[in-house]
Amino acid sequence: MKALLLFIWKHSFFFMFLVLEGLAAFFIVSNNSYQRTSFINASNGFTSSILSASNSFTHYIGLTETTERLAHENARLRQLLPASQIRKIDDGFVIDSSNVNQHYRFQAAEIISNSFQKRNNYLILNKGILAKVKPSMGVVSAEGIVGIVKDVSKNFCTVISVLHSKSAIDVKIQRNGYTGTLKWDGKDYNYAKVMNIPSHVHLELGDTITTSGNSSIFPNNITVGTIDKFDLKKGASFYDIQLGFSANYNKVRFVYIVDNTLKEELQELKNMTVDE
Amino acid sequence: MSKIIIINSLRFILLILLQVLVLNNVNLGGYINPYVYVMFVLLLPFETPKWLLLLSAFLIGLSIDLFMGSMGMHAAATTFMAFLRPSVSRIIHSRREYEPSIKPGINDLGIKWFLSYTLLLVFAHHTLLFFIEAFRFEEFFSILNRIFLSTIVSSLLIILLNLLVKKERK
Repeated sequence: MKALLLFIWKHSFFFMFLVLEGLAAFFIVSNNSYQRTSFINASNGFTSSILSASNSFTHYIGLTETTERLAHENARLRQLLPASQIRKIDDGFVIDSSNVNQHYRFQAAEIISNSFQKRNNYLILNKGILAKVKPSMGVVSAEGIVGIVKDVSKNFCTVISVLHSKSAIDVKIQRNGYTGTLKWDGKDYNYAKVMNIPSHVHLELGDTITTSGNSSIFPNNITVGTIDKFDLKKGASFYDIQLGFSANYNKVRFVYIVDNTLKEELQELKNMTVDE
Repeated sequence: MSKIIIINSLRFILLILLQVLVLNNVNLGGYINPYVYVMFVLLLPFETPKWLLLLSAFLIGLSIDLFMGSMGMHAAATTFMAFLRPSVSRIIHSRREYEPSIKPGINDLGIKWFLSYTLLLVFAHHTLLFFIEAFRFEEFFSILNRIFLSTIVSSLLIILLNLLVKKERK
């Protein structure tokens, strides 16, 4: 026993190194997003408030560009208003607002911390429990989808970016409605892969890919990107499709958190069917 | 003595702020991110007790982890780097002997010494960090690429910073 203690004392530098590395390994396994998910650390208190302060500064510098983007989006949305459209054939059909329910609620939020260069990327937004944000709500920007809410603290929430090895999003080809799955291969934050599009489908470069609305997270028809390259290996039953994201994840500042108000109802219905 | 502690504590805080507020937003060519905060470990005085060397390296790594939400990854890499530091400084020869008054840096030991010292230790840090981050060997070559390029960029920035500070002191 004494010999052992003496040995440890003699090599205390090495043993201390082992202890600290062990501690780090413990942190990695018990806390990390990829190895296991619990990201709440970063959305807590002190670090978030420093990041938030720094962001208010950088946002101020980028105001001109941000205003331009928002104005652009406003213009696009204005086009969609009933008032700026005219019915080609007047069949007397009138939209009665009492027949329409709000299905998705959008809430604006600001990104206070963003990453896009790692293999698994996360964002932190400045809305939390106080703003009724809940886990697994969708997050979209004016240009395209961004990610899914993971953890929520009082004032902040963390978002698993589309740029994450575990993210898989139901998408479809807008032109013909064929659905597939979006995966990010971790190489370039401008591109991703679309899987499971069968080989008999006719594709064209530049086809728009949107969300399919199959999951209860994102509404239907939110733009994801366009087909940048596609290839059909001999004998393969699915295409290899490369998609170019429509959003520039390096520059996203303002996003919308999407709340599906009918999600619980849908979930209950699904559970009922599974139980039978 | 207390002056050394104050200087190093200040350096600790300033380097974390520089890393988190400025450099984490820098991204060259899609996948090079410079980690300059490791300079703190490089510049600790030679007479730092070994346990303190490991512990302070662990702490600065952990602080960076807190900001980046990558609990433990940077702590593991900086501790590894601190562990290698005594051996590396023994291997590299310099014009002058390591006397108690000498500090690691271009000032006292020359650019050639500091360059090899920085490159070796930063390389060790980045290697461990990027492999832990990816946690798999499938993307081996793309990770290797990242390690080499990031090591070069980080080391260059560290040396530039060192030169800047050197000028101010004179």
